[in-house]
Amino acid sequence: MASILKTVGTLLHQTDGPLTRELLLAPGRFGLGQVPARDLPEAVTDMVCGYCSTGCSLRIHLRNGEASGLTPTTDYPVNLGMACPKGWEALTVLDSPERATTPLLRDDSGRLRPVDWDLALRTFVSRMQEVQAKHGPHSVAFLSTGQIATEEMAFLGALAKFGMGVLHGDGNTRQCMATSVVAYKQAFGFDAPPYTYADFEQSDVIVLIGSNLCIAHPILWERVLRNPHSPEIIVIDPRLTETAMSATQHLAVAPKGDLALLYGTARILIENGWIDRAFIDRSTTGFDDFAAFVAQFTDERITAETGLTAAQVHRFARTIHEGERVSFWWTMGVNQSHQGVRTAQAIINLALMTGNIGRPGTGANSITGQCNAMGSRLFSNTTNLLGGHDFAHPQHRAKIARILNIDPERIPTEPSWPYHQIIEGILRGKIKGLWVVCTNPAHSWINQHDCRDILGRLEFLVVQDMYATTETARMAHLLLPAAGWGEKEGTFINSERRIGVLKKVRRAPGVALADFAIFRAIAHYWGCGEMFAAWDSPAAVFQILKQCSAGQPCDITGIADYRMIEDCGGIQWPWPATKRQTSASDGPSTSASSHSPSSALHAPLPPRERRLFEDGRFYHSDGRARFLFEDPHPLPERTNERFPFLLLTGRGTASQWHTQTRTRQSAVLRKLYPQRLFVEISPLDAAALGIGPNDPVVIESQRGRLRARAVLTHAVQRGQVFLPMHYEEVNQLTLSAFDPYSHQPAYKACAVQVTRADRSGNLRSSP
Amino acid sequence: MSSLLDLPIVRPPRPPAGATAAAPSPAGDDGLLQRLLAAQQTLTAVEVFSRDHDAGLPAQAKYYSRLLPATPPGPGQQYAFEVNLDRCSGCKACVTACHTLNGLDEHETWRDVGLLIGGTPTHPVMQHVTTACHHCLEPACLIACPVDAYEKDPRTGIVKHLDDQCFGCQYCTLACPYDVPKYHADKGIVRKCDMCHSRLAGGEAPACVQACPHEAISIKVVDVRQVIEDAEADHFLPGAPDPQMTLPTTHFKTSRVFPRNTLPADYYQVNPQHPHWPLIVMLVLTQLSVGAFIVGLLLDRWLDATTLTAFRQLHASTALGFGLLALAASVLHLGRPQYAFRAFVGLRHSWLSREILAFGAFAAAACAFAAVCWMRPDSPALPVLGWLVAGTGAGGLFCSVMIYVFTGREFWSFGRTAAKFGLTASLLGIAATWLSLVVYGLCVDAPAANRLLRQAGLPLIQGLAAATVLKLALEASLLRHLMFRRQSPLKRSARLLLGPLSGSSTARVACGLLGGIIMPGFLWKELAAADSQGLLWVVAAGMLFVACVAGELLERYQFFAACAAPRMPGRLNP
Repeated sequence: MASILKTVGTLLHQTDGPLTRELLLAPGRFGLGQVPARDLPEAVTDMVCGYCSTGCSLRIHLRNGEASGLTPTTDYPVNLGMACPKGWEALTVLDSPERATTPLLRDDSGRLRPVDWDLALRTFVSRMQEVQAKHGPHSVAFLSTGQIATEEMAFLGALAKFGMGVLHGDGNTRQCMATSVVAYKQAFGFDAPPYTYADFEQSDVIVLIGSNLCIAHPILWERVLRNPHSPEIIVIDPRLTETAMSATQHLAVAPKGDLALLYGTARILIENGWIDRAFIDRSTTGFDDFAAFVAQFTDERITAETGLTAAQVHRFARTIHEGERVSFWWTMGVNQSHQGVRTAQAIINLALMTGNIGRPGTGANSITGQCNAMGSRLFSNTTNLLGGHDFAHPQHRAKIARILNIDPERIPTEPSWPYHQIIEGILRGKIKGLWVVCTNPAHSWINQHDCRDILGRLEFLVVQDMYATTETARMAHLLLPAAGWGEKEGTFINSERRIGVLKKVRRAPGVALADFAIFRAIAHYWGCGEMFAAWDSPAAVFQILKQCSAGQPCDITGIADYRMIEDCGGIQWPWPATKRQTSASDGPSTSASSHSPSSALHAPLPPRERRLFEDGRFYHSDGRARFLFEDPHPLPERTNERFPFLLLTGRGTASQWHTQTRTRQSAVLRKLYPQRLFVEISPLDAAALGIGPNDPVVIESQRGRLRARAVLTHAVQRGQVFLPMHYEEVNQLTLSAFDPYSHQPAYKACAVQVTRADRSGNLRSSP
Repeated sequence: MSSLLDLPIVRPPRPPAGATAAAPSPAGDDGLLQRLLAAQQTLTAVEVFSRDHDAGLPAQAKYYSRLLPATPPGPGQQYAFEVNLDRCSGCKACVTACHTLNGLDEHETWRDVGLLIGGTPTHPVMQHVTTACHHCLEPACLIACPVDAYEKDPRTGIVKHLDDQCFGCQYCTLACPYDVPKYHADKGIVRKCDMCHSRLAGGEAPACVQACPHEAISIKVVDVRQVIEDAEADHFLPGAPDPQMTLPTTHFKTSRVFPRNTLPADYYQVNPQHPHWPLIVMLVLTQLSVGAFIVGLLLDRWLDATTLTAFRQLHASTALGFGLLALAASVLHLGRPQYAFRAFVGLRHSWLSREILAFGAFAAAACAFAAVCWMRPDSPALPVLGWLVAGTGAGGLFCSVMIYVFTGREFWSFGRTAAKFGLTASLLGIAATWLSLVVYGLCVDAPAANRLLRQAGLPLIQGLAAATVLKLALEASLLRHLMFRRQSPLKRSARLLLGPLSGSSTARVACGLLGGIIMPGFLWKELAAADSQGLLWVVAAGMLFVACVAGELLERYQFFAACAAPRMPGRLNP
């Protein structure tokens, strides 16, 4: 009877059952808290994330050896147990139906058809060799990426240049980091971002220039908020970004007025004697010329060119002066500019003249974009010979030839063309075959209509990608399906020079292969397999790259192997074998877990946070840093009556990544960003144009036009509009303008017209 | 694979000549490809690197321990989320962490991050707002739930959803002003944030608290009295619904001063809401049924009741048929209809339970009435039974009204909703009577039907036209909100009616005019004519009925689709 009553009671009010149990949590072990009980990990392993250059570590939960979930790694010195939405969803995007699962070859009817690897590789070789036979060996080029492992980049660069006789290859890092590379190289003598992330926590003044950390690098903003010194945070950005919203001073500078602002600030610092003369004398050269040069940036001039008040600029200068540990950070707002190198160097100059470098909480610090842009900068074998060497330098060539055991004659004596010259080379008929690896120029390259037209002129376009649906993959003659992050091994180098390890925790779909394996196979089919006989695994290549780095500022010969990197919580370069560093640090490596590093024997472990230039010596032969400067140049495309608005572009949300080939594969990430393109416009401009909230508008530049929904916000100033870069059509508007030194495209400013769309919203291309 | 091959090709370059004329395979392949493919499918991370840790306090606790209260809530207290807006940068890691750590389904999220925009050119403001369930003192979800699938933990104050008790009526998704409970169609139930109660019980932080890189979310112990006092002053959050409705406990704190023009990023957006078709059918047909019975009773009063016996049988059957159809439709609305029997559990607080009970009684009374009509047509109990049907029906109708009034939405205010449902009952009650008359004349007794028509036709026409005019006028009166500057919920509804829902608006008016004005006018003319029994007459009355029902279904569709739901500030999603 009682049981009947109980049954009836349960029927009427059921507090437990299969649905409840679906969401049951249970202790996850391995230092984890509670996790979904139906998905308990059997083991865990840590690896670095594959999106941005922050280089967070993710703890992968394994079941049957395969990744079943992840949580951010608690003790990794980069992310301290946190991740952004992209990191949390990193595994989800691997399961997409848009994955490339088999090689695809375009047939005579113009359709991509599945083929097997053998045919794909034979086609690759015969078509590329055919192009080379017809148009010369240099008529084949490659465009690569900052998203694959260092070992893979090195393999691609070595295979193409030493094996296939290709001369020109560049990476999409040209679109994000080239400016910093050149600025550092010229100023410091080597491409060497000097900082460690702990500097964010140690500064008392943090200056962010063209950098929206909150959205682009949320985990670095975490480090800013962990700063216990109540730092002054100064954001220099035309737009009120999330970061600017949290700043103590927001200098809403006119687009590309940053250079004049930085020179003017230098002038104020000098006039007030707010400089570190001792440091300048000991460690730099060219200061007096610089001081004379910046004298012309009077208050009148800087207010005219920046749109700021003199009081704002003086306050900024005084804040720098009063700070004991001032750090300067920049990202794409500086790099993607027609005068990016000089702007970055103007930032470096401020750090040098105030002695804010080489000490905790200081530095002139470029925050990189992609997860392995830093690996590309040292080892992609494009602009630099492997290991940050110079193609033009005979001894460098000899060294690399010796290490690789190849004929020095196979090493080109000049660097590759930069990206835009390769694109131009296609237009001029110099490049006929192109191999695009893990990047999406048909979406991301500046002035998109031209870019697609140019790519369409190729005799042979090979795209190697995880997804068969990227805008560029759809144009390919041959698509090579690549395994993605999580499906292969290797290392990445993050913004603060920290090397982190990648692991194979998922099986690639279909017959997709790791880029590394594809390069091995191509070497074999090309007939140069012998040359790469020693390159049989990423771990083996890591040992080769170590040798390449020997004696360079980026020397990593002291790193034994992947295991040591992992045990140390990542290792920042340099870590040479010869000289055990005793540099001041933020504590010894505490991560070393119970087991000892496999092959490092009893070598000392590197401290977890290290910065460069603590001895005040730079990499130029005289040990001194250079003050470099130049008159500001006007915007390459100024507004006019027909195109009265300046278009700013940038990151939309933290859940979007670049051309969205990956982030759009996660249902949750898709929920977190706007599905339709929107444009931010000042309510004052909108009122003048009769544009209301959410109204459809047409934005037009000399190069194209698109449709977007209006978002009215005072975050953008009058006369400016902002478009997030992730949407395919945005680069139809942008202007092919480049920094003359870094050749980086100036995505951030071009002239556009904004009009309210008619009811039909027709978007026929303009005549 | 085929979908992949069907991809639109973006301006394909010239196909290379002889693309398939590939080089021969290199000699001595040695099975390299096979080895590479095999290696690719071999996972290596476990053997090489995996490491174990002993169980203990989660490593992550060192970051979040200070984001948790030192002691559990005492009497008169409960747990609450506290959001430090100064630290919420809009990264949305909390959303994904909640999704992952709670094992939610692919599209499911329990937390959301909205955006507030405002200020002036010199002081612009942008504020992201992370928000989840507010674990209210008076949870509307809990009060609304007809099956008691919600519990408010007496000790922690956490509002917990009992997934296995839920039968998927989705009423809580309408009742919660913060859009918190989310319906999971595949499972047929609602799920929602439970503040990770099992984590809290074990001394761990909720997923969102653990995962916020900026420590913007924490758990606090709040005094119930304080929450009530705060709600009185209405300083919950700009652009959020009035905290008086449910007394939300989340505290949004900030050192920033929001300008008075601060508004949610999605403030000017209007999106049609989910229409709930089974509910539309259920509402319209229950009202038809109740109306038809009442019209029948009125005819009984006005006309010679003894002449109506046969008609009454037919009409009661018609009305009952529609009533039962309505109740069947309402069951279809449930995600798990097999648990429909739980519906009355929440009788003490849920208008939905009361509605179900009232309409249950109505159905029983109506069955009895119809049965007596057929079996004991001259029973003295008939009038009593008739009024019982009308009474229970009206009671059910009132509960229907209150279900929507309870949500606090302006579009569903008492006056507006009661007028709509009442007018629908009159309008369709009369239309159904016309239908009964036609069937009566066609199938049973043409002369009797004709006599009835002579007596009742005109008032029925007048009643129908009057109800139609009133109802269309009432609905059109909403459009006056378009003239007001303020973007009120009613203006949003009006914008929806003329914007995304304009097609249904046109159809609704057309049906209303056809069924309530044109056809009655035609019938009036026919009535005046000598012989009003042609096929034309039948077709006209049939059209009248169909058009009226269609018009009311469309109106009810708009009742759901055009209702501007209150919600927390939303994302930028123009």
